[in-house]
Amino acid sequence: MTTLKRRGVIAAAAVLATALATACAPGSSNDRPEAKAPSAVSTDVAKAGNVTLTVWDQEVQGGLREQIEKLNAQFQAKYPNVKINRVSRSFSDLQKTLRLALSGDDPPDVVEANQGYAAMAQFVKAGMLLPLDGYDSVYGWKKRYPKGLMDLNSVTKDGKLIGSGNLYGVSLNGEIVGLYYNKEKLSKLGLQPPKTWAEFDQALATAKSKGEVPIAFGNLEKLPAMQLYGVLQDGFVGKESVRKLVFGSGGAWTDPQNVQAAQKLADWAKQGYLSKDANSVKWDDTPVNFAKGDGVFLFGGTWWAPDLNDRMKDKVGFMLPPPSQAGAPAATMGGESLPWAITSKSKHPDVAAAYINFITSPEAMDVSVETGNLPVLQAPSKQPSAALMKEVSAAWAVLSKNDGTTPYIDYATPTFTDAFGGPLQKLVAGQASAQEVMKAAQDDYAAFQKKK
Amino acid sequence: MSGGQAMSTRRERLVNHAILGVFAVIALFPMIGVVAQALQLPDLSFAAFGTAWREGRFGTYMRNSVIVTVITVLVATVLSIMAGYALGTMRFRGASAVFLLFLAGLTIPTETIVVPLYFDLRTVGLDNTYAGLILPQIAMSVAFGTFWMRAYFRSVPRSLMEASRLDGASSWGTLWRVLVPMGRPAIVTMIVLTTMWTWNEFLLPLVIINSDEGLRTAPLGLSFFQGTHKTDYSLLMAGALIIAAPIVTVYVFLQRQFIAGMLSGAIKE
Amino acid sequence: MTTVARHKSPDSRRGAPGARRARSGAGNRSRPAAGEPRRIGWLYVLPALLVYGTFLLWPLARGAQFSLYEWDGLGPATWAGISNYTSTWSDPVLRGAFGHLLVLVVFYSALPCCIAFLLVAAMSRTRVRGLAFFRTVLFLPQVVAMVAVAVAWRWVYSADGPINTVLGWLHALGLPDWSRGWLGDFTFALPAVGLIGTWVGIGLALVLFLAGVQKIPPELYEAARIDGAGPVREFLTVTLPALRRELAVALTLTTIMAIRNFDLIYMATGGGPGDSTKVPAYEVYNRTFNTGEVGLGCAIGITLAVLAFAATAGIGRLVEGRDR
Repeated sequence: MTTLKRRGVIAAAAVLATALATACAPGSSNDRPEAKAPSAVSTDVAKAGNVTLTVWDQEVQGGLREQIEKLNAQFQAKYPNVKINRVSRSFSDLQKTLRLALSGDDPPDVVEANQGYAAMAQFVKAGMLLPLDGYDSVYGWKKRYPKGLMDLNSVTKDGKLIGSGNLYGVSLNGEIVGLYYNKEKLSKLGLQPPKTWAEFDQALATAKSKGEVPIAFGNLEKLPAMQLYGVLQDGFVGKESVRKLVFGSGGAWTDPQNVQAAQKLADWAKQGYLSKDANSVKWDDTPVNFAKGDGVFLFGGTWWAPDLNDRMKDKVGFMLPPPSQAGAPAATMGGESLPWAITSKSKHPDVAAAYINFITSPEAMDVSVETGNLPVLQAPSKQPSAALMKEVSAAWAVLSKNDGTTPYIDYATPTFTDAFGGPLQKLVAGQASAQEVMKAAQDDYAAFQKKK
Repeated sequence: MSGGQAMSTRRERLVNHAILGVFAVIALFPMIGVVAQALQLPDLSFAAFGTAWREGRFGTYMRNSVIVTVITVLVATVLSIMAGYALGTMRFRGASAVFLLFLAGLTIPTETIVVPLYFDLRTVGLDNTYAGLILPQIAMSVAFGTFWMRAYFRSVPRSLMEASRLDGASSWGTLWRVLVPMGRPAIVTMIVLTTMWTWNEFLLPLVIINSDEGLRTAPLGLSFFQGTHKTDYSLLMAGALIIAAPIVTVYVFLQRQFIAGMLSGAIKE
Repeated sequence: MTTVARHKSPDSRRGAPGARRARSGAGNRSRPAAGEPRRIGWLYVLPALLVYGTFLLWPLARGAQFSLYEWDGLGPATWAGISNYTSTWSDPVLRGAFGHLLVLVVFYSALPCCIAFLLVAAMSRTRVRGLAFFRTVLFLPQVVAMVAVAVAWRWVYSADGPINTVLGWLHALGLPDWSRGWLGDFTFALPAVGLIGTWVGIGLALVLFLAGVQKIPPELYEAARIDGAGPVREFLTVTLPALRRELAVALTLTTIMAIRNFDLIYMATGGGPGDSTKVPAYEVYNRTFNTGEVGLGCAIGITLAVLAFAATAGIGRLVEGRDR
């Protein structure tokens, strides 16, 4: 009897061992889905039966939330058989969870998957997103959008090259990183909105000497410094070089002009032009502080405009970052908001595509304007009413005309926010030199290019 | 006692009280700050709780936490009592090996198992389910519970079990009718501790409940609430209070068990 | 969280009635109740063992397996041998993370024990009014969810939080301006996080020591006092030696707390600024789910388990030394 027991224990151990040995190596080669043939696409949502569409977005703030709530309500009113299960979380929470959710068996149907090698390209490579080309030929998105914007949401199937290959998402809002300024403070300081970088530097010095915080800046999340760096980089480097660099087709982060941009940021930090202890201030607190009067200038995305407009009314202005010489065409980071994509495991891809088409339609652009946002395409019948939104909209028009947007820097590698953003925090804290920081960026970048 | 000595004793008492007072203030201060901000003192308003409860969906999250905690603790308690009983009072082949196996589990951090657990649960479709949250937590609780109950059953006088058997009770009957009622203090302590650990668990829900918002537990809810309401501190503090309140309440009433558990759970053996 | 500190041989004097059957096997195993069928023991253990095996031991084994692969969590995996383990050492960020863990152990473990000794001395040398109250309050941080603790302390450390307010007053009095964003400061973020751990750990150590002190025979103190020992000498010659065992337990438990430090880092700093508060527990999650290095994440996880185990086995031996 005792030997029986012993045998039992040994058997159990053996089972565990063999199970482990035979358990397949983790992971499996995922099939990458093909684009649906246009002829197979059904655009008749009403016929789809009762459908619950789970949609993940990151539109948690003021006007953006209002916009998507309104569009969802309109879509559900139009198609009573569709129920939208909206799941929203902040940008950084979405980044943290999307990867987990997409690789699960029951992912949401529609997600806002950020552009770049850190997100969309990886998801595409793993076969998690549906190529939208079939839907595009039915709904004609490419006709609706300029090529540059479509390219941002396109990736080759192996995830190796952004800007070509298949289309994986469509965006709703336009966005650029620009310069907000507190009009009241400017006039008190006797300053005009700067027309060149030199003038801007002058203004910063003046603000500092009068005891103001020149630039409101919160950098807890690392991403803000990357955006600020990007804006500076656009002032030193041509837009084409920046695009090539970010998308991995030439150049190095250690190139002299790129280092110069970092040096500029370091100088600003050293001269006390940025908010005190910027690394401990949350990104989303920055516009709140700015509205309270902490800061003469604020570099920030147009996604803050509705909120700032509410808080500051006509005390706030918006402009493109100044060019190096007066009158030269400006360039800045931006493009379009997170694209809406369909997951490959979605059971209702046709309904999902119809939803995406609906929320990016010309009517949706009107809703975007109504709710105080910046639509990615010209709204057919609505004009922004608030002064700030007019300025934002004008800036967007200028950039679109001269093709002046450059991609966000965090698109560059999957680990760039940590690998470059971390050192940039050090730069801001005065604990690393521009050369060191750019070398760290280049190391991560080169490693990723090699692996890709 | 001479007068000088009395003086020095009195002075020492004063110093001792001062030391204790300072650290008591330090221990309480962050919590008082949370309460004060949640109540928007000095205005005193409970509005933040309502808003947090509604917008943060804490009602749902608290319900989930209750479901997960109750089932986990119930099942883990029964399983631990049974296993502890066998390991503490019976002798059978492999008993010590099994005990060592459970013992090993006491030190394994959640961080170690959470990643493989996630991928394997996903394969069998248990991610984003109550079961996916409950089963691993039962496993973690059972490691401690078995160890804890075994210690109790070993301390029970043999004669008691003998007597019970002479009365014709089976081993099962002896366990539930004699030993468990007698061991209530030990069992309550175990329940209190596993309740606290399960309620406060964060990493496991963070990974397992990755898409179904409706299944978030309270601590997970607070984490996402912090993400969306970064700038509104009174709401955030109200949320923190809401999720901490149940365990703190239990603690205030059952602190003896909490402390006993911490003490003897570690030392008794 | 609780762990086993000692495995003294169990109480083997007891249970005389069953003694005649207690010959085989390890001598210190408990006596079976007479006439108890043996096999039934397995039936009692089986359910617990099943759940435990499936949801704890199996993932542990799978984690060990994963740690030998390079895998992004999405596509297929490739065999990597032990390279993930060598990375935990060669990758400067990870090496830093383990270094931070070492620093945190001081804050989580050593510091609370020192403070708890002070408090125990304060509580036991003279009669203290409201002893129960102090104990309740000081232990309270132990029961609050780490997530909530993090929210509270983020406020304490925030730019306009209470610490900076006080420092602001000091500044107004002519002292240098020491205020800063504590959790966003490269120098102070790690100690700031560490102090949260100290705050949590004091109660645990205190409660353990209090229980130990009550077991010290009062004659020892009297003898010491007759010898003219002051508080310090009394502590060193009487209290400390008597509390060795409790000290070992307290150090073990708090060290393991430091090792399992995910919640606080995730909520309070996210590893920042830069990499300055990254710890292995956080990197398990970060590498697996943010940067897609699942094999590496698992290797860090296994390393943590080994560390936790070593801490449990090692500290007792170290503190109690020749005791046995």
